[in-house]
Parts: sequence; structure tokens; C-alpha cells
Amino acid sequence: MTEEEKELLIEAVATANRPRPLVTLRYHPAWHDLDAVGREKAADLARALRKIEAALHPEGLSTTARAVLDRI
Amino acid sequence: MDADLHLDGILLRDKRAFGQWMAIAEEPMRASLRSFASVVDVEAVLQESLLRVWTVAPRFVRDGKPNGLLRLGVRIARNLAVSELRRTKSRPMSPDDLEDLEGRADVHEPAEPDPLLRRTIEECREKLPGKPREALDARLSSGGGDEDLELAMRLGMTLNTFLQNFTRARRFLHECLKKHGVTIDAELST
Repeated sequence: MTEEEKELLIEAVATANRPRPLVTLRYHPAWHDLDAVGREKAADLARALRKIEAALHPEGLSTTARAVLDRI
Repeated sequence: MDADLHLDGILLRDKRAFGQWMAIAEEPMRASLRSFASVVDVEAVLQESLLRVWTVAPRFVRDGKPNGLLRLGVRIARNLAVSELRRTKSRPMSPDDLEDLEGRADVHEPAEPDPLLRRTIEECREKLPGKPREALDARLSSGGGDEDLELAMRLGMTLNTFLQNFTRARRFLHECLKKHGVTIDAELST
């Protein structure tokens, strides 16, 4: 895997979208293709992105929170 | 900041109140999972944990200390991460390794919303160039509900082009925020 391909995988995994139907816990498919360092980078990137998303939402909700609300 | 101020609404099964609680609790719960990031999908574990908090909240009993539901949420999230680790056997874990992961259960103090930060981010978003802004806005408006491939197709992009544009958007935001003296997380620029 090239560095560029790895960066795109990290970008993909950092989304709040996870496969549905979510009967149980489902991982992002690309998460399995990342090594340990890439998984940590994706988690850190997701954390940073969620802060931006929450700041841009009128009620301060990140896409994670909105995805959860959509499921209840 | 005490996220339990939304507890009464949550007990009445008010989703909006739960949203307001998540706006405070998400970040500390996510932070509590950081040590598991190389072995479980933190986003998936976090979302499932938040759902479980909603499910068990009617049985929650206050202990008189602030952020009780958040502390419960952190325990749920970390227990689920440990269960995932055991279920997937993603790597051999000795009891010492597990104890080490389980031991770092600090609950970060929830942060107050910062209106100035919000305004600055909005200003920077307004300045984003066309395609990167389309990619950022697509993820924002889908609210985690759509796969990137679907979002890319709607924008007439390939998945890789969409992801490249999204990367440009967050790097642009990072630079713009830096010019305003704001640093969210170094990861935005990577």
C-alpha cells in the first residue's frame, strides 16, 4: 500500500458513517485494512473532525451524535 | 460543566435532550477510548455505547456527583471496547495488557461550547474553495447517514477524488484557523 492509499483509507475511516442495518456493532470496512498506526491516526482525525462538525451545527451536534439520534 | 442538566429530559425519552447531552458527553467518551484505537474501531464502539446509554438511562440512579450519566457512559464504552478486544482476538492480550488498557479510565472534564470558535470555523468554512467545500458539506449534511461512495456519486466524483477533496478541505480549515490563532487538533493538518 502506498502512503497516498493509506492516507485515503485513514480519511475514509474517520467518517462517522458505519454500515447499516446496525443490529450489532459494525466496523468501517476500511478499518481492517489499516495497520495499528493508521487506526490510531484515523481515530485522532475523527476526533478533530467531530469538533469541527459540532461547531458548525446549530445545536452543537457532531455527525456521530446525529448518526446515533437517527438510530433511536 | 455538568451534562446531567439534561438528565430529566432524557428520562422523559426526549431525543433532543439526549442530543444536548451527547453534545457535551461525546468528546470525553471518545477520549476514554483512545487507548483502544489500534485494536477496535473507536467510532463504531462509541456510537454503540451512546445508544446503550440511551437504552439504560431510565434505570440510571444519581449518585449526587456531577456528570453521573457521562461516567456511566465511559464505563459502558470501555467495557464494550474490552469485549470487542476479546471477541475479535485482534491480537494476543495478556491479563497485564488488558489491565493496562482498562486502567486508563480518566473521565475528561466536558468543555464549555466556545461561540468565538464557532464563528471562526464558520468564517473559514465560507472561504473554502469549491470542490473541497462540496465534499465537506456533503458529509456534514448527511450527518453520518451516508457512505462516502454515495456522497461522491451525488457530487459526480470518484470515491478517491471525494476523499482527496475532503483532505484538502480539512487542511484548508486548519491553515485558516491557524491564521486566526486557533488550533483545534494537529490531526486536521496531517
